[in-house]
Amino acid sequence: MEKLLAILRDINPDNDYESADHLIDQGLLDSFAILELVSNLEDAFGISITATDLVPANFNSAAAMWAMIQRLSKD
Amino acid sequence: MKYTSLFYLTLFLPLTLLAYQLCPQRHRWVVLLTASYFFYFMASLTLILYLWASTLCVYAVGLGMGRCDPLTHGRKRLLVWIGVGVHLALLAVLKYGPFIAGVANDVLALWPAAPHLPVFKLAVPAGLSFFSLQAISYLADIYQGRTKADTNLGRVALYMAFFPTIIEGPICRYEPTAAALYAGQPLNHHDIAYGSQLLCWGLFKKMVIADRLSPLVNNLFKNPAESGGVLAVLAAVACTIQLYADFSGCIDISIGTAQMFGITLPQNFRQPFFSTTVTEFWRRWHITLGTWLKDYIFFPLSMSPRIKALGRRAKQRHGRRFGQIIQAIIPLLAVWMANGIWHGAGWNYLFFGAYYFVLVMLGLIFEQPLETLAARLHIDRKAWPWRALQMVKMAVIVLVGELMFRASDVASGLAMLRSIFTGWDWKMLTDGTLLQHGIYGNDYMVLLAAGVIMLAVDICHEAGISLRDWAARLRLPIRWTLYVTLILLVVIFGAYGEGYQPVDPLYANF
Repeated sequence: MEKLLAILRDINPDNDYESADHLIDQGLLDSFAILELVSNLEDAFGISITATDLVPANFNSAAAMWAMIQRLSKD
Repeated sequence: MKYTSLFYLTLFLPLTLLAYQLCPQRHRWVVLLTASYFFYFMASLTLILYLWASTLCVYAVGLGMGRCDPLTHGRKRLLVWIGVGVHLALLAVLKYGPFIAGVANDVLALWPAAPHLPVFKLAVPAGLSFFSLQAISYLADIYQGRTKADTNLGRVALYMAFFPTIIEGPICRYEPTAAALYAGQPLNHHDIAYGSQLLCWGLFKKMVIADRLSPLVNNLFKNPAESGGVLAVLAAVACTIQLYADFSGCIDISIGTAQMFGITLPQNFRQPFFSTTVTEFWRRWHITLGTWLKDYIFFPLSMSPRIKALGRRAKQRHGRRFGQIIQAIIPLLAVWMANGIWHGAGWNYLFFGAYYFVLVMLGLIFEQPLETLAARLHIDRKAWPWRALQMVKMAVIVLVGELMFRASDVASGLAMLRSIFTGWDWKMLTDGTLLQHGIYGNDYMVLLAAGVIMLAVDICHEAGISLRDWAARLRLPIRWTLYVTLILLVVIFGAYGEGYQPVDPLYANF
């Protein structure tokens, strides 16, 4: 989880990722940030994220992202 | 039938609400579907056949995909392309046929012996661009596993035809809209009251502001060569306000109508003129189109293996920012060309798309250098003076874009833009010129007052104040005085009746 939070802070340090739960719905992460995030997550965790995974439910909070990473790591 | 017509407001909508409430819950969807088909038939007559064909197509293709073995991915892919291809072909033939044939003929004219293609102009069913996008999103969602193929034809048909959304959107997704439409929830006082409020506010924007501006905008764009700088600026401002009041007004009528039936539709506008960047503007303006383009063009393209690999290579060689730009450039080009051409068949629409593509790319490229520069100059980019300056910059960008968008062709738009710098004459503001373009002194007064009200409401919403909640909390006599005043403002100052041409919703033509 710390690794994920570090990646998120590197992309945009202004957000409070530990408490924010509407990162997409509130526009705190835009499409370009998502592209960069996906690329960094794939490199850091050795997972493959597809367009199907790009739904707000998977990116609205750090916890949701972590759950997605766990799920994709098992696949 | 128009959303602003007396027939819709005093007969169609109340009778549909009454029939809906009287009907048993499990059959209420039939009332909505019958009303939707009646509404659409009144708008498009026999062209309703296209809607039916589209509905049957997405239903059948959806079922086919639903029955596919998860391991036989190729068959599912073939089916989704058939469904999407049918709708793209419909758009290409009906909406873009004459434009494509015209361009092909221009190219063929370079060879004297080449044949001349016939140009067919077929009748276009109302809302084709909107229900086609809904159809494609339903099929793509089944393909990507975001939703399941629905076996209920009635639910699919209602999703495709729901009367408040069929003409101008908002563009809905199958989930959660279809289930809400089919549920047949009983009417309740809260939804009727809030829905009516929004409907009245939409009528105010559409009839008092947009329709009153219509003669001025038509007049100013009719003779672009004669327009001096003052008139060109007036044309850009007037057409932008008209488009916003018209489209957001009609969307408020749609969302308000749906809310009366207990159905929540997605928001399409969030105070777009408070945006400080181009990307923010498009997250606030025509939100459902932007989201559609992002979900069905931008992300699938940018996440495709080839483009991801391209971005990764660029990142390794030239750094993170460059990699991001390379990964986004092709998907963004596709998004903005699709955005432009979706609005209509013409070079000015493609120019409009290209204009925003260039601006978004410039924003992406210069974001970091500008951030560094601002930090060095000790500029607080979150402070209100800086934000205000950015809003003014965005207003200029939007005005230029809308001028090109509204102009009959690229040359006329460019001529009007040029005249701002070459033909400026301050005297036009006072010598009566402004009164010779379709509207008069009283119209300007009404527009000024109504524009101030619209701006004040947007300022409140931007500040997070819900005026609808505030109105609902007022004491009954005060609340009803407010509602009656709003209705009277529409009745007295609305541009309708003798001396006014009825104005179709602007986006219904896109």
